[in-house]
Amino acid sequence: MSADDAGGGVLGTSETSSEPLYRVTDLTRSFGRGGRVRALDGVSLEVRRGQRLCIVGESGSGKSTLIRLMAALDRPTSGEISFEGRSIVGMRERELGFLRAAVQLVFQDPRSSLNPRMTVGSIVTEPLRSAHLRSALDAVDPRQRLTEVLRAVDLPTDAATRYPHEFSGGQRQRIAIARALAPDPAVLIADEPVSALDVSVRAQVLNLLSDLVAARGLTLIFVSHDLAVVRHLCDSVIVLKQGRIEEQGSAAQVFAHPRAAYTQALLAAIPQIRL
Amino acid sequence: MTLLAVRDLTVRFGRRRLVAVDSISFDLGPRQRLGIIGESGSGKTVTALALMGLLPETAQVSGSIQLAGRELVGLPDSAIARLRGDLMSMVFQEPMTALDPTMRVGRQVAEVLLLHAGRSGGPARAQVIEMLHRVGLSDSERVADSYPHQLSGGQRQRCLLAMALINSPDLVICDEPTTALDVTVQAKVLRLLDEVLTAESAACVFISHDLAVVSQVCSDVLVMLDGRIVEAGPVARLFTAPEHPYTRGLVATSRIDEVPPGARLPTVEDFFPREQAR
Repeated sequence: MSADDAGGGVLGTSETSSEPLYRVTDLTRSFGRGGRVRALDGVSLEVRRGQRLCIVGESGSGKSTLIRLMAALDRPTSGEISFEGRSIVGMRERELGFLRAAVQLVFQDPRSSLNPRMTVGSIVTEPLRSAHLRSALDAVDPRQRLTEVLRAVDLPTDAATRYPHEFSGGQRQRIAIARALAPDPAVLIADEPVSALDVSVRAQVLNLLSDLVAARGLTLIFVSHDLAVVRHLCDSVIVLKQGRIEEQGSAAQVFAHPRAAYTQALLAAIPQIRL
Repeated sequence: MTLLAVRDLTVRFGRRRLVAVDSISFDLGPRQRLGIIGESGSGKTVTALALMGLLPETAQVSGSIQLAGRELVGLPDSAIARLRGDLMSMVFQEPMTALDPTMRVGRQVAEVLLLHAGRSGGPARAQVIEMLHRVGLSDSERVADSYPHQLSGGQRQRCLLAMALINSPDLVICDEPTTALDVTVQAKVLRLLDEVLTAESAACVFISHDLAVVSQVCSDVLVMLDGRIVEAGPVARLFTAPEHPYTRGLVATSRIDEVPPGARLPTVEDFFPREQAR
C-alpha cells in the first residue's frame, strides 16, 4: 500500500464535508509588557478533516505559537478558533476534554518530552488516565491500547517495561508518537518532530508518520523550518513570517511556483549535495 | 606535508572500558577540509574532543595524534591548553551553551585573544570588532557589547566562529555547527564558514550527520559507524560511487529532495540492515 493512494482516499471523502475541522479567524497573540511583541498577527486559516497541513517558517515566525493556540495550550490576545464547530477560545480547562482527546501533540525533542522516571508503558498510557480525557474517551482497556499503539509505531511489546534512556533518538520519537496515538485522536500536531534527529533516522520517522496518517485517516498539522521534509508529508502549506501568513497553497504549487520571495529563500536554503 | 596525522586512535570510557572510537587513522593536510559523518553514537564527537584534548578524565586515549609534528596524546593538559584556541580551535553545536551568558560577547572573543597573545586592552577591542566584522556581523560594535541572549542563533554562531578564528589557527574543528539553526540561517553560516576558512587558510574537520551539509564545506569525507571508519574519500566519489552499504544508505537518506512527494523515503536500513536494538 502506498501512502499516497490512501492519503488521496482520505482527502476524497473529506472534500465532500463542508464544515472544516478547524476554523481560525484573525488570530493574534501578543507577548510582553503592553503587547509589544506580536508573535501572531491576524492569522486566519481552515483545516479540513484528513488534510495534511504544514506550517513552515523560521524561528520566531509564530508557528509554535499558532499550534499552541490551536491545541488550547495558550490563549489568544484576540481572534477566534473553532474546533468541530465549537469555539475553544475562552473555554474552561475542564470543558476542553473533547479537544484534548481529539488533538494530540508530538514535540521536537523526545529527550525533554518524555519523563525519564516513567516506563514507556506508563508514558504511553498516561493520556488514558487523565481525568479530563477520560470523560471524552470511549472506555478502552489501557493494556490492549498500549500493545496496539506500540505495534503501530514498530516498537517491540517489551518496550513497555523499559525507560526512555534505553532507546535511541528515533525510537524515543516513536514512543512520543505512540503516546499521541493512545487516545485515538482525530488530529495529530507535530512540532518539528524530526529536527532533533539524525538525517539517517529522519526518513524512518517521516515514513512512519505518513503511514499512520494514511492508515488512521488522521488530520496532520506539521510544523517545520525545513521545506524538504514538508514536501513528503503534506498536501498543503502555510508559510509564516513574523506572525503573518506569507503564502499558502497546495504543497505542489508552493514547491513548483513559490510566489513570495520569502518562500523562494526557504526553498533555496534546503541543503543540497555540492560536488 | 600533513598538518594532522591520527594513527590508531582509540578512546575507551569508564571502568567497563567501552570503546567509543576504535583504532581510527587519517591524515589532514594544511587547508584541507575533512568531513566526518555518522549517526549519533558513531564516535564522531568523541574523535573531535580527543583532537582538542577535551575528553573527560574517565576517557582512556591510546594511539597517536600529531598536530604540526607535535604529539598530543599523553601531553599534560596545561600544554594542550596552550595550543587550544591558538593552533587549533573548535566551534560547538549549540552556541547558547558554548557562550557565557553573563559576559558580553566582545569580551569573550577578546579573552581568547588575550589568553594566547597576551596583549592589553585597547588594540584587543579593535581586533575583536574587526574579527566580528569578518564573520559577517556588520554592526560588530553593537554585537561586541551585547550579551548572548540579545543575539539571534545565527549571530551567536558567528561569534563562536570569530572566537575560533581570531588567533588564526591552523585547524578549526566544527562539531555540527549548524544543527541548531534554521535552514535559511544554516545556508548563510555554511557559506560564511567556507569563505572565512579560505581567507584564514585554516584546515577544518567538520562533523555532521548530514552529508549534504558536509558537502557544502568539505572536499573529503570519513564515514564513521560504531567507532570505526567504514569508508573514506573525496565527497564526489563517496556520493556517486559509495562502496560500503552504510554509506549508500546515508547518501540515499540525504537526498530526500529527489524522492517524488508521497513516495516512501529510503532509509539506511534499506541498504544496511541492523539489529532493532540500536
